[in-house]
Amino acid sequence: MEYKNETIAIEGSWNLASWEWKFESIALIRKTFEAMKNERKLMANKCPGCGRVYFLPKPYCLCLSIPDEWVEIKDTATVTTYTFTGAWAYEGIADDEVSGTPQIFAGVVFDGSDTKTVTMLEGIEPEKVHVGMRVKLKWPEEVAGGLTDLAHCVPLEE
Amino acid sequence: MAKNEVAVVGVGLSKHVSKRRDVNIAELVWEAVSACYEDAGLKPKDVDAFATGNMPAFEGVNLPEEWGAGHWGAYNKPLLRITTGGTTGGSVAHGGYYLVGSGLFDTVMCIAFEKQSDGNSTMGLNTVALADAAAQLQLGVDPGFIASFGGGAVGVAVYQASSYMKSSGCTTHHLDKVSALCRNNAALNPYSHLKQPGLTPEEVAKTTLLQYPIRFGHVCPATDGACAMLFTTGEKARKLTDKPAYVLSCASASDEAALVGISGSGTTNVDPCEQESCKIAAARAYEIAGIKDPRNEIDLAEPYSPFAHQLLMFYERLLLCDEGEAPSILDSGSMNLDGELPVCPSGGVISTNAIGASAMERVAECALQIMGKCGERQVKKDVHKAVAHGWGGAVNLNVVAVLSDTPRR
Ligand SMILES: [Zn+2]
Repeated sequence: MEYKNETIAIEGSWNLASWEWKFESIALIRKTFEAMKNERKLMANKCPGCGRVYFLPKPYCLCLSIPDEWVEIKDTATVTTYTFTGAWAYEGIADDEVSGTPQIFAGVVFDGSDTKTVTMLEGIEPEKVHVGMRVKLKWPEEVAGGLTDLAHCVPLEE
Repeated sequence: MAKNEVAVVGVGLSKHVSKRRDVNIAELVWEAVSACYEDAGLKPKDVDAFATGNMPAFEGVNLPEEWGAGHWGAYNKPLLRITTGGTTGGSVAHGGYYLVGSGLFDTVMCIAFEKQSDGNSTMGLNTVALADAAAQLQLGVDPGFIASFGGGAVGVAVYQASSYMKSSGCTTHHLDKVSALCRNNAALNPYSHLKQPGLTPEEVAKTTLLQYPIRFGHVCPATDGACAMLFTTGEKARKLTDKPAYVLSCASASDEAALVGISGSGTTNVDPCEQESCKIAAARAYEIAGIKDPRNEIDLAEPYSPFAHQLLMFYERLLLCDEGEAPSILDSGSMNLDGELPVCPSGGVISTNAIGASAMERVAECALQIMGKCGERQVKKDVHKAVAHGWGGAVNLNVVAVLSDTPRR
């Protein structure tokens, strides 16, 4: 037997997606995704206790009530936080994927909701992004009914 | 309030570097534990119970206290394992406070450590993030897509930094200044990892941008290291030493995981820079400690800050100033070793991060500064009361401890 004086990593894969976890949130989020796909609408759930509106929907509220009312929210949003990728991101990623421009990620609150979701900002220089700026969801031509549909936002001209 | 007075009578730290290939986990921890016994003048037979903790799975082994116990003097003694993510060491110290304060045990050895080079911290973090990642996978999200949104500790930190900077007026220059302050303090600390004497904010500003606004110079290193502390009753402490550090209070609070985006529980709804639970824990800790005016009564603070903005953000959340005031307090020089309220005289987590040990090392530094055992990095002013903080859990837990040179009357 050969002894090694180092830590080694062994290649392998473990398909976590094949495991059905019992998240209560999954069914709710799927409902929102279906509404996106079938009706091109953003549906959120509202808490009867405190009025908070959750997008994506959540099975319970911060005030411990059940947000069981479905409401439609707008596809315009406000940036609450952002980041853009630095040098490390370009290593191991094909050039055509990043095209030399940093990717801008932002936490946004869609109008009519109270919670933050993550998106990528397009059509703006990283230096010009600021907290509080207004953006609009860039709907894909074909809505897949998933998180990727929410992945792109563009500056909103008002 | 505790039934018994609780005091720290010994602190031990191992050497802290990125890779300790000359020792195994048990031996690394023993460096801290033996130094702690020596510092207190106690032997394993004097210890009634042990509390230990580290990050699960970070070194590729689990439950290391089960085979390390014999090596550390804990063989067949009551032993409590506490592990709460980044707060682990702070929670272990809280464990020591509760074990002694409750009157159940007189003398308790607290041990916290991490030997990151034995394993893979990213893999370890993945085990923490597994539930949230699994929720997204179950929704059919591509793993590459999840990764591109900047997960892990840096992912949390950049969003937190951006929203903190907006709400406080903190600039990237303030981030550079925090790093320079901490790394210069670390240079005076024999137990710190990244020592950069003379480092200037301008030099930090030239380091690689990892992800806006965080540069390489704003981030903690990955460290191998261990910390041990001996807690005992006030009565026993006064027999052992002229100058024990009393633990006046410990408090913790947990709120929603402040991630931006979705997690296993659905969408998150608190801003990552709010840290309401830190304010709640701090207020509770000051109240138990009998502190009415923390801004004037606290002499020194060790906020948990693996990322530069967190030193300022947590200074505010520990109620040491108004929100948005910390950047100007940094500019005033008040946070320096010779300042009015020195912050992270140890060099902080941004200079040394043996993850499981880090939050305990905040408590240890407060104790050492009170006992006057800090050598070159000993702060100028007399330290009567100090506050130690930890941040972790699923990025939602804050732990706060208040230490003092006198017991609460
Ligand atoms: Zn509610």
